[in-house]
Amino acid sequence: MLAEAALRDRCAVAGIGATDFSRNSGRSDLTLAVQAALAACADAGIAPAQIDGIVRSDMDTVRPNDLAHALGIPELTFWGETGPGGTAPPAMLGLAVGAILSGQARTVLCFRELNGRSGRRYGLGAGTTDSVGGAGTYDEFFLPQGLTTPGQIFALMAQRHAYEFGTRPEHLGRIALACRARANANPAAQMHDRTLTMADYLASRPIAEPLRLFDFCLETDGAAAVIVTSTEQARDLRQPLVTIRAVAQASIPDPQPGVQFPVLLRESITSLPGQAVARTLYRRAGLGPEDIDVAQLYDCFTITVLMQLEDWGFCKKGEGGPFVESGAIDLDGTIPINTGGGHLSEGYIHGMNHVLEGVRQVRGTSTSQVPGAETCLVTATPLPPGSAVIFGRG
Amino acid sequence: MGPQPVVDDPDTAGFFAAAAEGRLAVCHCASCDAVLHPPVGYCRTCGGFGQRWQDVAPRGRIYSYSVVTHQVHPDFPTPYTLLLIELDERPEVRLVGRLDGRPEVHVGRPVVADFPPAADGPRRPTWRLA
Repeated sequence: MLAEAALRDRCAVAGIGATDFSRNSGRSDLTLAVQAALAACADAGIAPAQIDGIVRSDMDTVRPNDLAHALGIPELTFWGETGPGGTAPPAMLGLAVGAILSGQARTVLCFRELNGRSGRRYGLGAGTTDSVGGAGTYDEFFLPQGLTTPGQIFALMAQRHAYEFGTRPEHLGRIALACRARANANPAAQMHDRTLTMADYLASRPIAEPLRLFDFCLETDGAAAVIVTSTEQARDLRQPLVTIRAVAQASIPDPQPGVQFPVLLRESITSLPGQAVARTLYRRAGLGPEDIDVAQLYDCFTITVLMQLEDWGFCKKGEGGPFVESGAIDLDGTIPINTGGGHLSEGYIHGMNHVLEGVRQVRGTSTSQVPGAETCLVTATPLPPGSAVIFGRG
Repeated sequence: MGPQPVVDDPDTAGFFAAAAEGRLAVCHCASCDAVLHPPVGYCRTCGGFGQRWQDVAPRGRIYSYSVVTHQVHPDFPTPYTLLLIELDERPEVRLVGRLDGRPEVHVGRPVVADFPPAADGPRRPTWRLA
């Protein structure tokens, strides 16, 4: 096995592209994926025909051959998918790196597409009135009792975090406000024109207490894509070099089965599997939390961010609330987060828009640029075992 | 009536078979007695493949809770209070309960389960404040 240090910075993100983010795209999933892919190719300065690998998430409806056909790609020599769902994007880059370093492809497109508002709305959870459960889902222990959505799971986690550590609504509000302020600077963000104050946040209607409206991410129609190549190839392309310093997936000893509800049976529900991803990723990168200039933290809900700040070592366990209250996650703080507005205020492209924003920060082209940022962490560590990537300059 | 549980899954059927008789049962490994929750057919502790269902007192404490105020599922009118419950005799086993409305609850508060006859589906534990 190659030494981890020898694998650092071997591949790079040569291009990024996205559609507009909206509540009703009026376009097919395939058209969204094509538009994001073309934008990424144009950004990289390559023709779509040069793509020879495609990686998707397990919740994309567009298949690699759909996209290869639509784009007129003459020959794919690698394709793959990973997940589940929002844990995919950094791991998708990991698959691309593996394909490139093993000689299976040279130019890999990673994409995520969804009509998340006008089409299937993940936030509605399970709406069935039929029999539920069985086949390893364990839904039979949860859905019939009225636990039906991801927001309700995170509400139970947030309540427990409040019980164990004294976390207050104002703490979660600081995360919502930070993301909104970054979105206000980002013309592509769905919430670009809508400001948010703490009074607005506290007055917003409860959804599943202690979580309220502005603790929830947006539902978005859109797509985002990146082009991964070897670092050598990326140097010859048009964009400033942004390398994949390291990428990691990691599970925990008791991940629990199923997709989401059984995570409530973990010994602790105030941490997420990001703890394990953090250990593996920092080791591979030869970096620690103190070396990260800016972070894009998966924010399906505000509490998800709070727990990750602890899991990723930016503050101690249980101190996420006071940490965000200190201003640490703001643009001039010690670890600015979600600088495009995040899922909470830019759009919910299931982790992929965070990847694009991470690249922008290291290029120096974010609408909320952290001066001199040389490293950006992008996490996709919500409920299931997840993934993360650190971008650098090689 | 809301979604009804599948009660004939090979790994979890024992829970609902006990509930049909008004009992709360926890899955153990038939070989080494390790608690297997959520119920599975294989014991990672000893490698055994048999299940044994052990009755426990239908009593627990609230581990966490949430008052749901935004109507999502048509069969669960809001507000209602979701409970994440740890069993008194087996605190490593957590189950979910639901209370109508928003009664005064807190972490640690005792709850008990009844098994009322169900006209519209399988019997299952219904949790209430003790």
